[in-house]
Amino acid sequence: MYQNSSESTGAGGAGLTGLLRPHVAGFSAVLVLQVVGAVAGLAPLLAVVELGRVLLRTGPVDHGRVWAVVAVGAAGLLVRLLLTAASAGIGHALDDRVQLAFRRRLAAHLGRVPLGWFSRRRTGELAKVVGEDVSAVHPVIAHAPGELVSAFAVPLVSLVYLVAVDWRLTLVTLAPVALAVALVPLMMTPSRLREQEEFDAAMGRIASAVVEFVQGIAVVKAFGGAGRAHRRFRTAVDGFVDAFLRWVRGISGIAAGMQLALSPPFVLLVVLTGGTALITHGAMAPADLLPFLLLGLGLTAPVAALGHGFDDLQAARRALGRIRDVLDVPPLPEPVRPVAPRGHRVELRGVRFGYGTGSDTGSDTGSDTGSDTGSDTGSDTGSDTGSEVLRGIDLVLEPGTLTAVVGPSGGGKSTLVALLPRFFDPTGGSVLLGGVDLREIDARELHRTVSFVFQDVRLLRASVAENIALAVPHADPDDVVRAARAARIHDRVVRMPRGYESVIGVDAGLSGGEAQRISIARALLADAPVLVLDEATAFADPWTERAVRRVLAPSADRTVLVIAHRLETVADADTVVVLEDGVVAERGSPDELLARDGRFAALWRSHRSALVDESREDVTR
Amino acid sequence: MIRLLLRVLGHEHARPVRRTVALMTVTAVVEGLSYALLVPLLRALLGGAPADAWPWVSAFGAAVAGYAVLRYLSDLAGFRVGTTLLRGAYDRLGDHLARLPVGWYDEGRVGEVSVLAGRGVMQAMSVIAHLLAPFVSAAVTPLTIVAVMLAVDWRMGLAAAAAAPVVAAIQVWAGRATAAADAARADRDRESTGRVVEYLQAQPVLRAGGRTAERFGLLDDSLREVQRASRRSTLSALPGALGLALTVQVLFTALLVLGAHLALGGAIGAPEVLAVLVLAARCADPLLSLAEIGGRLRGARSALVGLDAVLRAEPLPQVPDPVRPDRHDLEFDRATFGHGDRTVIEGLSLTVPDGQRLAVVGPSGAGKSTLLHLLARFHDVTSGAVRMGGVDVRAMSTEDLAARIAIVFQHVYLFDGTIEENVRLGRPDADDAALRAAATAARLDEVVERLPDGWATNVGEGGALLSGGERQRVSIARALLKDAPVVLLDEVTSALDPVNEVAVHEGIERLVAGRTVVMVTHRPRTARHADRVVFLDGGRIVESGGHDELLRGGGPYSEYWEIAMAPSAE
Repeated sequence: MYQNSSESTGAGGAGLTGLLRPHVAGFSAVLVLQVVGAVAGLAPLLAVVELGRVLLRTGPVDHGRVWAVVAVGAAGLLVRLLLTAASAGIGHALDDRVQLAFRRRLAAHLGRVPLGWFSRRRTGELAKVVGEDVSAVHPVIAHAPGELVSAFAVPLVSLVYLVAVDWRLTLVTLAPVALAVALVPLMMTPSRLREQEEFDAAMGRIASAVVEFVQGIAVVKAFGGAGRAHRRFRTAVDGFVDAFLRWVRGISGIAAGMQLALSPPFVLLVVLTGGTALITHGAMAPADLLPFLLLGLGLTAPVAALGHGFDDLQAARRALGRIRDVLDVPPLPEPVRPVAPRGHRVELRGVRFGYGTGSDTGSDTGSDTGSDTGSDTGSDTGSDTGSEVLRGIDLVLEPGTLTAVVGPSGGGKSTLVALLPRFFDPTGGSVLLGGVDLREIDARELHRTVSFVFQDVRLLRASVAENIALAVPHADPDDVVRAARAARIHDRVVRMPRGYESVIGVDAGLSGGEAQRISIARALLADAPVLVLDEATAFADPWTERAVRRVLAPSADRTVLVIAHRLETVADADTVVVLEDGVVAERGSPDELLARDGRFAALWRSHRSALVDESREDVTR
Repeated sequence: MIRLLLRVLGHEHARPVRRTVALMTVTAVVEGLSYALLVPLLRALLGGAPADAWPWVSAFGAAVAGYAVLRYLSDLAGFRVGTTLLRGAYDRLGDHLARLPVGWYDEGRVGEVSVLAGRGVMQAMSVIAHLLAPFVSAAVTPLTIVAVMLAVDWRMGLAAAAAAPVVAAIQVWAGRATAAADAARADRDRESTGRVVEYLQAQPVLRAGGRTAERFGLLDDSLREVQRASRRSTLSALPGALGLALTVQVLFTALLVLGAHLALGGAIGAPEVLAVLVLAARCADPLLSLAEIGGRLRGARSALVGLDAVLRAEPLPQVPDPVRPDRHDLEFDRATFGHGDRTVIEGLSLTVPDGQRLAVVGPSGAGKSTLLHLLARFHDVTSGAVRMGGVDVRAMSTEDLAARIAIVFQHVYLFDGTIEENVRLGRPDADDAALRAAATAARLDEVVERLPDGWATNVGEGGALLSGGERQRVSIARALLKDAPVVLLDEVTSALDPVNEVAVHEGIERLVAGRTVVMVTHRPRTARHADRVVFLDGGRIVESGGHDELLRGGGPYSEYWEIAMAPSAE
């Protein structure tokens, strides 16, 4: 899977076909079994016809022939039963396998697209692509070919037979089918299609109104906003009902006409009228009417199948479109011949970055992740999406130094630090590690070298040990415990029902501060030479704060880049970078910058007077 | 099934549903009866008197016309009832969701309810609009045809009738057999959706850890589980479908054999036998479609069961005649609250006099936020009481309580709309001057000025297009505009950078002036400005008093700040 991802870059469709290729033989078998089974199903009907011919013949009845006919009919039924059962069984087994392959493929691809792409997508919608949309596609791949082919093969066989019996009555029998087909274009007029689209859109609005209603429930309750959220919800529902009724009104007459034309009573009526006319005029033997009564109804099958499968087919086509959209997103390119970095010096050269550029069309603007986290990398851009967030950054992080980034919100801090673990590639300039462009470095090598402590802590619903050892899957349990101790979470873990094996969210819930300490333990265990850290929520409690400080403690072999939120951190830094409007406004050691009396000095003073002095006084008093 | 449907939808919708089902049944019976006319018709045509067939053809034509009208009407009735029910179900669900305690909405619930309300309701309604008519027709038409057969020839009719209980038994049995597998599959699906969401949301962490899909076993395991469950559910449905097909085919074969035997024995005329066999062919198709329709109905049923479960969740009880307190002092009286099997708040007693500020300090997991939640009645206490102005919050109306409290959360949720809409949520009827004043006080004005669309800037789903600090300013402006006598603050500034924090602090100071305030904090400065501080640990008050007094006391509180402020050398 890893290899074929690069060749299918930008060609999701080709990738999907590739997934199906190994199963072609299986699908063909399903198809053949289904068609043969369906055709065999004609045998009992033909047996009735033959029975009629034998019985209605003047003169003595040939008993042997009667029983032979009955036997053939019964055998046909048996064959049909066996073959359809076999095709259903094999078909489903294949289905499941194909679905799994699709889902794995999607997951693998999503693990490689630039992270910036995620911040513009709703997580729920993406999860729907992997889940529901794949499920919606499968009947089309697995069943539709067989159903469609039998829907045409069986009537075709019947048609040949019926024409041989009486071509005039065959034409009469086809009249309802022709009528139904004539109605089809009426269902596809632009206004009908527009109504269908409105209907889909209205359905989508309900879903998002619900999500908003539920996710914002605390605010809704606290602000008596229930009315508003509720209203929005109701408006969406009313809109949907209206769209639905419009759609039904537009389509019901035609649909009813079509259904009636294909309904057994109507077809029988047509056949009997034509048959009676032919028989009374002596143009046809009465026994010849029987095949039309029995097989004639089957001629409607193709149209009925098309009509019946049409909704599913449409839904599947849309689902497939969404799957392709995801697979078509170009992944962050992987180097063909990775270069190993020499040393851990990090250098940014003329780095520019804009979220609006690149692969992202940015059609929808929203992000699940932003709703319950602090500010994530995507939201740092604020509302000025499309413009550049970083406009030419030059920066060197020497090994063993602590560099603090400060500056107003929206200045590009989160984006800057996200470039180091290569969540994004810069749109201009380059980021180098050990003299090598990040784009030239093997992903695993990069992840071993750069670790990241997030402002937005994500713990997995997995054991504490697994969560801590996320970046070091085969970590020694002792090392895990050591990291947990250093991050001051060990005592809490030991108190959990199953200790380090407790599953987070199942065996034990963690507070924000505790979750953060887990993520700090994670970084400590990874022990990467370059550490990127965002201090934002690092104040959940004193213990967490201490753990953070431990990570930040100067160390000869660790390079640290931190978005600083505390003056202590800033004061300890070797270099302070003031980032404003995507450019470095000031840089230097804290003392230099204070002496310069520029922006940093102003920031320092306002912050100091506002917060720190008093608290220092308090404790030291 | 229908009963479950009606329970979910509310019984006021019972009549239209019943009427529609009745109409569908009549349509199916008419279809079946119209086939009875085939018997004399075929007798005339095949029996050597084709001219006699014409009146029967006309009669059949009339019957088909009647059937056409009925069918159109019942289709329309199906659609109409479907939409009425859709609206009804959404109204019910919406009302109910608004009444459920906030505490009910844990992380899993949000996803579950979103799926249910988005797709579940729709699926349930499609039962009526799309599946009910085919189902009724597939079950009723063959039965009517069997009755017709009985009238034509009792022996063949009886043979056909014998199949009816078998078909019914198979349907019931198949339903039971698949129910368990389907439920297991639904569980796996949900589990896997959760994993996918987790995988997507944790992308930064996973990538930083070098865990792409191939190496993230949790996701792959759950995807494989989905495959296994799906296979099991398919296998469990197979015997039912095969059994049905087998029964129908055995029936047809039996009729073929019996008809041949009777005709050869001369017990019945050839035209009659052939007519019965034509009728039998008319039975077979709808019966075979029963399996598929049954499967889809069961799919809708699981959505109904889910909806039913949500609608049965207990909302917070409301008193018939709520009391309105006339002061705003707050009181916890031996309040105990447990969540699951964990006691979060244990026998806690506490008072906050009207207009005073209480700071709540303590380690993570001490129950600080829960204290605020109990005041706002996101949950009800397990025992003891929480009072406002001497009135138990449970004796107040929800609207009244909500109107008296302004809350600022650590994590701000904004609605997908403009900044103005989100601020106005605090007081929808506020005039522009009040809105501007609140924005200025919260220092939101400078944010609004910076944004290209100003007040009309869209904040995105959950407020994602604003930064954390910007979101927090919106939420403070919202609270300021609300102008409520009680203010609850939950670690408001913990996620902010220094610049934002200074701004937000100023807003907070204006917000709390002259009100009764409970604030959860981790900043000594904030605690110092409170009239009183309580130090919470393990759901109990460990220490309480003035900030300075507690610091001097050298107890857990001073120890706490000691750790927080100690130099980093370790």
